[in-house]
Amino acid sequence: MLEIKNLHASIAGKEILKGLNLTIHEGEVHAIMGPNGAGKSTLSNVLTGHPAYTVTEGEVIFRGKNLLDMVPEVRAREGIFLSFQYPVEIPGVSVVNFMRTAVNEKRQHEGKQPLKAAEFLKLMREKKALVGMDNKLTNRSVNEGFSGGEKKRNEIFQMAMLEPCLSILDETDSGLDIDALRIVAEGVNKLKTPHTASIVITHYQRLLDYIVPDFVHVLADGKIVRTGSKDLALELEANGYAFLNN
Amino acid sequence: MSKAIIQHITLSAGETREVVILNQPNAQYHFIQEEGSTLRLHILCLTDSQTADEQWQSSITVEQNATNCRTLLYGMGLLHGTQQAHIRTAVLHNVGDGYSSQLFKFVLDDQAKGAFRGELKILPNAQQVEAYQTNRNILLSRQAEMLTEPQLEIYADDVKASHGATTGQLDESAIFYMQQRGIDRDTAAKLLLCAFFDEVLNTLSDTELQEKLVEKINTIL
Repeated sequence: MLEIKNLHASIAGKEILKGLNLTIHEGEVHAIMGPNGAGKSTLSNVLTGHPAYTVTEGEVIFRGKNLLDMVPEVRAREGIFLSFQYPVEIPGVSVVNFMRTAVNEKRQHEGKQPLKAAEFLKLMREKKALVGMDNKLTNRSVNEGFSGGEKKRNEIFQMAMLEPCLSILDETDSGLDIDALRIVAEGVNKLKTPHTASIVITHYQRLLDYIVPDFVHVLADGKIVRTGSKDLALELEANGYAFLNN
Repeated sequence: MSKAIIQHITLSAGETREVVILNQPNAQYHFIQEEGSTLRLHILCLTDSQTADEQWQSSITVEQNATNCRTLLYGMGLLHGTQQAHIRTAVLHNVGDGYSSQLFKFVLDDQAKGAFRGELKILPNAQQVEAYQTNRNILLSRQAEMLTEPQLEIYADDVKASHGATTGQLDESAIFYMQQRGIDRDTAAKLLLCAFFDEVLNTLSDTELQEKLVEKINTIL
């Protein structure tokens, strides 16, 4: 599904990713862990096309297409979804209106007719129930005045609405208490199919108790330096990243 | 610019008056409010003309001459080309127990220029007054200019008054967030700017006019 080859990327002239390789197949969950400043968030920003980052070398092939040639909205319509570490507040734009626009832009990209009002509302109802999203929240402005848990749940709700093939969860656990974490993780697990894949970026092993990865990668100084099974996360939790210095 | 004729209007006791000034090149009003009256006034500057060289000038003076008056002033300017809009307001609380609020929003593109000068005066004996003034502006181009001059003169001590003025650009982090959900940049900007003006437009009691203006905003953007 996704093939990253020798990816180099920089921000404001500073190189952050220094030759990253990663291959992801359908149905897989990949966890990416690593010390602060290793390039974890840079990776999610580069994959989604954030304008502040420049790719200086390498390639990314997503479902047979050159991902780096696409503008951010086309990447999203092609099926890449980022659950933001810090979801942005959009005053005056309701979650309903935002999602109606997003869902119909994606449908247009796929050559489908826009959803009729009744169909859209039915879809909203189903997805709200699936991820336990409060009715009151969807009528409010996007993320405005939402608690940390509500913001993250809104991310997962949007993911449910847009049905991406590749979802990137960027520190979805940050700022969540254990109950909120479990609810968000359950939402992610319910959305998993044999044809979707996820990249889970996290500092802590505890999220991986709920979203169980097939592979755990350690990202350090812009490269993947170690790959293992889910047991690698436990080892990192116990011993930290001291091995990097050896 | 044509010579101004000042319109003098007195709101009688208990009266509620709505005034909508839509694209008037030169609007000059002087209102006197009597006991318990309410003034709701909107100044709206936006056209999708090809020449885009219109100039609007409005000057609104409101005097609260009796207690329990409410003055609500709203305004928006969506300017492009070489359009210019100058809005001057003066709200004078001559007596106490009054309320006033002012909300003015501009979006300026190309070489457009906007100006807001908002005077707010609370006289020494005008206690128990609440008065608010807000001016928010978004510049879409480097050549656009906004001049904002809040002028507050408060001589009474038992009052609640505040003012705020900001001029900035479109929130790029919000645009990227929307793009990441599959919404193209132009549509994202439209959504943000319509939301920005909604705070002014949703105070219009004429919902038909409200809808027409939203349509017009979308055409201009």
